Amino acid sequence: MNNVAFIYLTLVTGAYLLLFRRSRDKTRQSLRVAGQSLVRMAPMLAAIFGLIGLFQVFIPADLIERWLGASSSGTALLTGGLIGAIAIGPPVAAFPLAGSMLDAGAWPPAAAAFVVSWISVGVLTLPFEAEIFGLRFALSRNVIAFLTALLIGLLIGWLT
Amino acid sequence: MNPETPRRPLSAWTSLRAQWLPLITLLLYGWAFRASPGQAGEALAIAAKTFGSVALLIVAVMGLVGLTQVWISRDAVARLLGREAGFKALLLSALCGTVLIGPAYLIFPLLMSIHRQGARWAVIVTLLTAYAVKIPMIPLEIEFLGWDFSLARSLLTILFAIPCGLAVEAIMEIGQPKNS
Repeated sequence: MNNVAFIYLTLVTGAYLLLFRRSRDKTRQSLRVAGQSLVRMAPMLAAIFGLIGLFQVFIPADLIERWLGASSSGTALLTGGLIGAIAIGPPVAAFPLAGSMLDAGAWPPAAAAFVVSWISVGVLTLPFEAEIFGLRFALSRNVIAFLTALLIGLLIGWLT
Repeated sequence: MNPETPRRPLSAWTSLRAQWLPLITLLLYGWAFRASPGQAGEALAIAAKTFGSVALLIVAVMGLVGLTQVWISRDAVARLLGREAGFKALLLSALCGTVLIGPAYLIFPLLMSIHRQGARWAVIVTLLTAYAVKIPMIPLEIEFLGWDFSLARSLLTILFAIPCGLAVEAIMEIGQPKNS
């Protein structure tokens, strides 16, 4: 893990140094935006890590296996997709949650459906999307995104 | 940054959106500490450990978010995806979607303005679908879910972006005169 983080951090820092030579102002602004998004996401991230802790301690593995395990594949896939559709938050948050689901014995396609629908289906943001694009667009996009999430979940299970 | 972004209905909705999860988490911990302090403490320790293991990565990701938001101009994206119909626009929108980053409520109004400039619905949806790839976040995904999973998810998402776009566009055009 720390290798990945280190390489990534080095690359990003390098990009900042390189771009700093091209435009000081824009690079400073990037830094400011970065800081702001970090601060804005901090409560959400804190919550996510808090939830992971609760999740691992209080939710027994056999419950996960029953809900999201391979033995009840159809239900598991649907449950994973639905939880993801209702939940909203940065993808940064979906990854560790899906990871702990997998550790607890979830069926990979269900975890994949969870991640994909977390990112691309937004039940709670539907009103906002409908306000901007119109109801027909918002509904059809979300329904299709949900079905795609299930399909991608299945395919991931089949590929990996 | 973008003068066209409407500000009005966002504030209340966004802050609710932003804070519902922390609130629920706090409530759950409150309950946990009353029900079983030992286990709650254990949960908190796991939380801290998980955070420690990705803190560096989170900083790097946010650094990249700052770079993309400032250096990749939203206007340029809009220009390239506007008017220009055809498959090239779809491919381009899939590509842009993977690179773009930022909260959806920023990108919805932008996409609507592109649509008003003449971009097809398919372009909009393709971009929104590909938006789920989140290239700058991939290292985090790999960290938690592994290479196989992340690669397969990203590739499949890109693969499905254009079909999804065309499907939604088809639904949008049902019962409507061509070229609305």
